[in-house]
Amino acid sequence: MRDKFLLAFRSIRARRTRSILTVLGIAVGIAAIVSLMSVGYGMEEAITGELTGMADIISVMPGKIMGATYVEMGGFTDRDVKDLQRIGGIKDISAMTYDAVEVEYRNERKPTFVLGGDTKELESFYVEPVGLKEGRWLRENDYKGCVIGDRVANDFFDEVIHVNDKLVINGEKFIVIGAFEKGDMLYANDVDRNIFLTLRAAKEVLQTEEIKHIIVRVYDIDEAEEIAEEIEETINDNHGLDDFATAMTMGSMLEQIGDIFNIIRGVLVGIAAIALIVASIGIMNTMLMSVMERTHEIGVMKAIGAKSRDVLSLFLLESSMVSLVGGVAGCLLGWGVAKGLSFIGSTASGLEIAAIVKPGVLLGGIAVALIVGVLSGFYPARKASKMSPVEAVRYG
Amino acid sequence: MIRTENLTKVYRMGEVEVQALRDVNLEIQDSEFIAIIGPSGSGKSTLLNLIGCLDKPTSGAVFIDGIDTGKLSENGLAEIRREKIGFIFQQFNLIHTLNALENVALPMFFAGMRHETRMERAEELLAKVGLGDRIHHKPSELSGGEQQRMAIARALSNDPEIIIGDEPTGNIDTEAGKVIMDILEGLNREGRTIIVVTHDAEIAARAGRTKRMRDGKVLD
Repeated sequence: MRDKFLLAFRSIRARRTRSILTVLGIAVGIAAIVSLMSVGYGMEEAITGELTGMADIISVMPGKIMGATYVEMGGFTDRDVKDLQRIGGIKDISAMTYDAVEVEYRNERKPTFVLGGDTKELESFYVEPVGLKEGRWLRENDYKGCVIGDRVANDFFDEVIHVNDKLVINGEKFIVIGAFEKGDMLYANDVDRNIFLTLRAAKEVLQTEEIKHIIVRVYDIDEAEEIAEEIEETINDNHGLDDFATAMTMGSMLEQIGDIFNIIRGVLVGIAAIALIVASIGIMNTMLMSVMERTHEIGVMKAIGAKSRDVLSLFLLESSMVSLVGGVAGCLLGWGVAKGLSFIGSTASGLEIAAIVKPGVLLGGIAVALIVGVLSGFYPARKASKMSPVEAVRYG
Repeated sequence: MIRTENLTKVYRMGEVEVQALRDVNLEIQDSEFIAIIGPSGSGKSTLLNLIGCLDKPTSGAVFIDGIDTGKLSENGLAEIRREKIGFIFQQFNLIHTLNALENVALPMFFAGMRHETRMERAEELLAKVGLGDRIHHKPSELSGGEQQRMAIARALSNDPEIIIGDEPTGNIDTEAGKVIMDILEGLNREGRTIIVVTHDAEIAARAGRTKRMRDGKVLD
């Protein structure tokens, strides 16, 4: 057996360039599969991971979702919030309000949005993931202070707004005490064009007691669906309507996202499959060439007493050695490409994507390389081993 | 003993049939040194290939030590080639990726011999043909005569009774050819049957018996 390996190794080494090309062909195919699957898993994990961090949250809105659009039915009242406090299993409740406003800065007026709420809650929702570029976050007694999103600070007005500048919102004066970093994909809409106030200040500026959004945290994630239903019932009762409130758990949001991921994964596997087919044809071609060009050698081996089986096993050993090296190289290459792609992806989207290279994918890649390599080596090797020695010796 | 019985070989080249051998009846005794001569196309090589079990006859039979080789399976023929026959080709037909030692050891590898035994014997055989100082050289690093001596060592590796040479001196210079003939004569003295095809009359003269061929027939 040792000698068989040695013989196979010798003939691989003797045809160095062609062997390297074959290994490369296999490696590229396998790398394509490994990297695409790893990036796919990474993307999925990045987004669901971010959302599962918020799995204890129920988002309650005064309106209903019809198909892809949200129809607002009005606003919640302080009574709604008080009633929710009586529901069991709820850790805390945070009420928010928001609306369009007109903002004046150095005699320029622009429309934008104000969002007010419990400062601790807003901090954990927005400040922690996005981060502040300048200044500090609101405290409950910052009645005249505001924190602005990146587009409000940099894009809306001719001059850039900094900390300690003064804004006039719906006729009321505020001092800018902080400014957000630019929000990534998930936060761009929520943060960049908003001005954040304390709940009390927001209610006054917007001249409303209405609450537009309630965020509820539960103790036990498993109870979230049940509590969400109870919330809807309680608020619907208060307003005398059947479907005034919509309470959505993160779980149900994750389910929707999961559907999207099934489609993305399908596409990635499809691309990987095409890469594999192309690689397989390449492997078959090189194996076929390799055997054809050695017909003479096969004839000589048979003339000096090799059986068909000896020839076949030598060639299969050779093609599986080449495939194995190609598979391992492909996995390493795929690993590197996946890391590179996720780095580029993270930089471009602002979303933290870390490619996940699963051991199963690596083993699968090597197995696929071996199977394709051996199968495509088998046909020409068998053909060669069946040749009459006279014909084969005469060849070349 | 080798005996052919009405041995006939027909090649089909497209529409045309070529009669390479016609009803050849030939007996070669053990330990004989026989030279087969004749112009090219006379069927010499075809006859050698059939005797050497490299090819199958269209009709007729080849008996080696009483065994009808036509009745053997592919594997049976491979075994005969491996155990009873040593082949020497005009083109040497060495494996260029292997060195002298490995080339000579290859038939013993197919015979399933142990690595150490093979290497030891291959070294002995190379020394016997005068290549004791060339055992790690690749065929391409040796002269034609040296390559043919390597091929003879390889033919001897499984200690066959029969050595078949198809124009063994056809591709090397006269001096080197003489060395090859000396070696073959020596092997014949050891009791091996030597069958050589050649169209060099000088070489044929060194054989114990000469048979002339023409148009696929062996002349008397």
